[in-house]
Amino acid sequence: MTGTTPDDAPPGPDDEAAGRLAACALDLAGRFAAGATLWAVAPGREDHASHVAVEFVHPVIVGKRSLPAIAATGGDPTDRVRTGARSGDLVLLVGPGDDPVLGDIARRTPAWGLTTAWIGWGSSRPDDCGAHRLWLDGDAEEDVVRSYHLLWELVHVCLEQPDVLPGVGADPASCPVCADDLDLAEVAVPDGDRAVVRTPEGTTTVDTTLVGPIRTHDLVLVQAGVALQTVTGDAL
Amino acid sequence: MTGTSFLYPFLSDGAREAGPLLTALARSAREKSDESIRLARRTLADNEAELVGTAAAIAERTRAGGTILALGNGGSACDALALVRLLSGREGLDPRAHALSADPAILTALGNDIGISQVFSRQVGAYGRPGDVAVAFSTSGQSTNVLDALEAAHKTGMLTVAIAGYGGGSLAGNPSVDHCLVVESDSVHRVQEAQALLSTVLCERILRDGSEAATP
Repeated sequence: MTGTTPDDAPPGPDDEAAGRLAACALDLAGRFAAGATLWAVAPGREDHASHVAVEFVHPVIVGKRSLPAIAATGGDPTDRVRTGARSGDLVLLVGPGDDPVLGDIARRTPAWGLTTAWIGWGSSRPDDCGAHRLWLDGDAEEDVVRSYHLLWELVHVCLEQPDVLPGVGADPASCPVCADDLDLAEVAVPDGDRAVVRTPEGTTTVDTTLVGPIRTHDLVLVQAGVALQTVTGDAL
Repeated sequence: MTGTSFLYPFLSDGAREAGPLLTALARSAREKSDESIRLARRTLADNEAELVGTAAAIAERTRAGGTILALGNGGSACDALALVRLLSGREGLDPRAHALSADPAILTALGNDIGISQVFSRQVGAYGRPGDVAVAFSTSGQSTNVLDALEAAHKTGMLTVAIAGYGGGSLAGNPSVDHCLVVESDSVHRVQEAQALLSTVLCERILRDGSEAATP
């Protein structure tokens, strides 16, 4: 039926893909050890988000600890993550590289203080803000399921090696458009020439005189309490 | 000894550098991928005749107006949702399909007031009609509420289909199960991955068989 025999060499992940998966698992394990919750997002394929959540919360292997994970389903996933996630949490995106919702979440996560992994496919591989990109050859159901199964398995192996986990204070993924002294922030409440913005450290008020009119949920680059520039999707 | 030290013996002395761990993880990922892909291919080959017959039987029911009710627990609840997703997207041509794992209000109401063993069979009682189809996923092949649901569906006059791991468990050869697609593995993850492939091929065939018959 498949045109191949069961003993043909399977086209599994190559060395680079396997290495990315391993590095992602180690990073995620460090965040879990520090108390992170994983948010799973899969627009149009919400069953995968639910599957990820149940995988981590209720492991199929007896004796593995439950890890907090929530499927961002049943509403606008961006708002679910925006309002639900705490700085230091994790987001796992599942979907094609050109998915506008996933792309939008990926570019906002540095402002929310989240570490992002993306199980994706397709020719569009957004070079977003430091997300772990776990790319598949296509969207075959079994390949998608296998990728988060493997990620779960490797995370648990890492958790049993606490000495090599990244420390609690390890920096979240850095944003390539942000220089060292610039921070990405999301506008929460615009107020004339000032705005309350969200950053990984919490909410703060910044001066918005230099960027002109801004709206709720705009992304801005902030330095020393001043918004210097509005960030659009094209910039990322 | 930690839980996985038998898989990674060189790490059990307390690794302090991430390098060897990452190398081991990457190798493990490749090996498990290979194992998974081989199992999925073998499963497809082993089930080929049953897949053809199952898809034809389901398409016959849906062409006649029958509805597919998909069900399962945990990851298999997600498989049920995925089955409905894989059958949808062609407006006006899709077979009617509904996942009994979709509604938390119904699941928790039945689970709390009656018991988890009845969460699917009660829904089969509410929705199921003669000529409908029940498609159940169970990695263990032993889930009581799945067995009860298929028995209820069978008594209703529905076609019953099981997709199950562990060689099919109690679902294989069960008199209430008309068709059983089986994964010969006792690793839950590998079973689910093979089931995902079986489900994809099953849905493709249901859609094709339904379309062919719909063409005058």
